[in-house]
Amino acid sequence: ECFKKKKKQPTATLTVQLTLACVSAPQLFYSFFKSLVGKDVVVELKNDLSICGTLHSVDQYLNIKLTDISVTDPEKYPHMLSVKNCFIRGSVVRYVQLPADEVDTQLLQDAARKEAMQQKQ
Amino acid sequence: MVLLKNLHPPTEGVRHEQAETTAVLDGQRLGCGTLYVAETRLSWFDSSGLGFSLEYPSIGLHAISRDVSAYPQEHLYVMVNGKLNKENEAEMAEKAADDDDDGSSDGGDDDEDEGAITEIRFVPSDKAALESMFSAMCECQALHPDPEDDDSDNDFEGEEYDVEEAEAEHGHADIPTFYTCDEGLSALTQEGQATLERLEGMLAESVAQQYHMAGVRTEETKAEFEDGMEVDTAAMEAGQFEDADVEHW
Repeated sequence: ECFKKKKKQPTATLTVQLTLACVSAPQLFYSFFKSLVGKDVVVELKNDLSICGTLHSVDQYLNIKLTDISVTDPEKYPHMLSVKNCFIRGSVVRYVQLPADEVDTQLLQDAARKEAMQQKQ
Repeated sequence: MVLLKNLHPPTEGVRHEQAETTAVLDGQRLGCGTLYVAETRLSWFDSSGLGFSLEYPSIGLHAISRDVSAYPQEHLYVMVNGKLNKENEAEMAEKAADDDDDGSSDGGDDDEDEGAITEIRFVPSDKAALESMFSAMCECQALHPDPEDDDSDNDFEGEEYDVEEAEAEHGHADIPTFYTCDEGLSALTQEGQATLERLEGMLAESVAQQYHMAGVRTEETKAEFEDGMEVDTAAMEAGQFEDADVEHW
């Protein structure tokens, strides 16, 4: 259950922390993704397909809509070459890769930790 | 053949119905029929009543395909987790016959491994309907969140995003359930709003640097401070650093 959605992969430890936080603090990540609307991301699905695109919108279940998409490995995954916009179910997302300079991981980590502690009280 | 028998189209909660739609499953053309985007499941049936159903949790991704050089016709592309094969579909047929209202059929999950997918293309004769088909599927997907999410969803009041309220307030006709950068914070539930304010309060406490939300640098910040210093001028009050001659880094 812990392996739901991982937000970044700078270090293994951070990935696990953010993953657990995502499960225990979904509102935080909903807010986080809302603030990233308009930015370019790469969504890696649990079936290994990676989709690059602009984050158009997100909902409370972290379902994601991307526009101007391209498949990062089109030879391996030719399925979606003709698609421009897509809706990705939140539960099939493994990673959402973000440009490193778009996010302060320390701040996000602190906020996630605080939110998780708040939830326990 | 991949088709089923003894299934009937849904009668309730049909968000979109599209006749004259060809279904292509993993490259195999199944024929022309009607697509039903219902709240319980997605299904397609040809004129003789043969067809198949998909549970929304099994649909990983859907999209409109318009590039005719990649595929000769505009269509709705649907990626299903796992493989649909005869054995699983037989299970699905039995379950569907017994439990018509049960939206949690797990037929098709048995053989699922992480990499296996099924690609389905729904090609309507009326291309103008693609947007409605896409939107209807988005709405129905939002009605079927993962069961695991229920444990961590204690902060949310009910499953549904307040579509009508958001639409009335912000006039977003095409993507009512989604938060885009144009929508206001009032679309959140009360608890969600409180959480958001709490988060922003925590972020505002951050001494060294200031951000709009959750540590995201805005584009304005990037453009203005190319030396890497991240200061949000909008959040600064009365130029608090102006009197300091010290170089910030």
